[in-house]
Amino acid sequence: MGDPDEELLSRVASGDPAAARALVARKLPRLLSLAGRMLGDGAEAEDVAQDAFLRVWKQAPTWRPGAARFDTWLHRVALNLCYDRLRRRRELAYAEPPEQTDEGPGPDRGLQALDAGRRVAQALQALPDRQREAIVLCHYQELGNIEAAAVMGVSVEAMESLLGRGRRALRVALIDMKEGRHDS
Amino acid sequence: MTPDRFETLAEAYGGDVARWPDTDREAAAALMAAEPAWARDALARAADLDAALDGYAAPRGSTGLADRIAAGAPKARARWVGWLLPAGMGVGLATACAAGVIAGAQLHAASSAPAASDADALVTAVGDDDFSLYLDEDA
Repeated sequence: MGDPDEELLSRVASGDPAAARALVARKLPRLLSLAGRMLGDGAEAEDVAQDAFLRVWKQAPTWRPGAARFDTWLHRVALNLCYDRLRRRRELAYAEPPEQTDEGPGPDRGLQALDAGRRVAQALQALPDRQREAIVLCHYQELGNIEAAAVMGVSVEAMESLLGRGRRALRVALIDMKEGRHDS
Repeated sequence: MTPDRFETLAEAYGGDVARWPDTDREAAAALMAAEPAWARDALARAADLDAALDGYAAPRGSTGLADRIAAGAPKARARWVGWLLPAGMGVGLATACAAGVIAGAQLHAASSAPAASDADALVTAVGDDDFSLYLDEDA
C-alpha cells in the first residue's frame, strides 16, 4: 500500500506553500491529539507540534519514498519530543518537589464532580508512560496494531499487553464514572 | 478463537470489533455467532471504557498556530537563484585560488628576507655575542 502523504510531502519539498498548508491541516490535529494526551497539557502539545513540524520541513527535501510511512515516522518524532518533556518534568520534580497542599473539603468540593474529560485525563496521566502511549496510539490515533507496535518499537504481542494492562488500570480508576453513567 | 482470547482482544482493542486486528476478526465473528449473549456482555464492558475515553477531547490549538507552522516550510528557490548559485560558487572558487596564489607569493618573499621581528627572536635565542658574530659574517 502506498504512502498517502508521499505526494504532498514531495510538493512540500519543492517549496509549494499550498502543499505545506495542506500537510499542516492534515497532521496538526493528529499531533495535538497525540501530544495532548501524552502530556496532558495543551500548551506543551502545541510546542511539540511546532517542533515536530520543524523536523518535517528539514526532512522533506531528503525524504526517501518507501523507506517508512510518513505518518509512522511523524508519530515517532512527536513521541520522542513528548518523552523529552516527560523526562525533564521528572528531573524537575526530583530537584524541586512540589509543595504538598491539603485541598480538603472546599465549599463545593464533593458536590461538584470533576467533568468526565478531566477525570479521564488524570487517569491517563497516572498510567505508566508506555501503557499510556499504547492507548493513545490505538484508541485516539486509531493506528492498527502492527503500526502502533512499529511506532513503539516493540512486538505486536508486547504492545497488546501494554494496551490491555493500561485499559484495565483505567477501568479501575474510572469505575465510579461508569456507575454514574449507568445510574443516570 | 477461545473465549479467553476474545476477552483479551476486547480488553485491549475495545468494544468495536471493527477496530480489532484484521487477522482476528473472522474468528471473533464466529465466536459471537456461537455465544451471542456472552460476547455481547464482553463487548459492552469494553465499550463502556471506550465511551469514557472518548470524553477526553484533544486540544484544538491556539489561533494562528497552523499559519505559524506553515510559514516555516521550505520555500521555492527562484530560477535565477538556481542559476546564480553555481555561478557564484565558480566565482568564489576562482577568487579563493587567486588569493591562494597571492598569499603563496608573499609567503615566499617573507621567508627569503627575515623580518626584524625574526632577527629579534634570534638574538634572544642565541645571545648577543653569538648574534654579533653572525652579523659580522653576514656582512
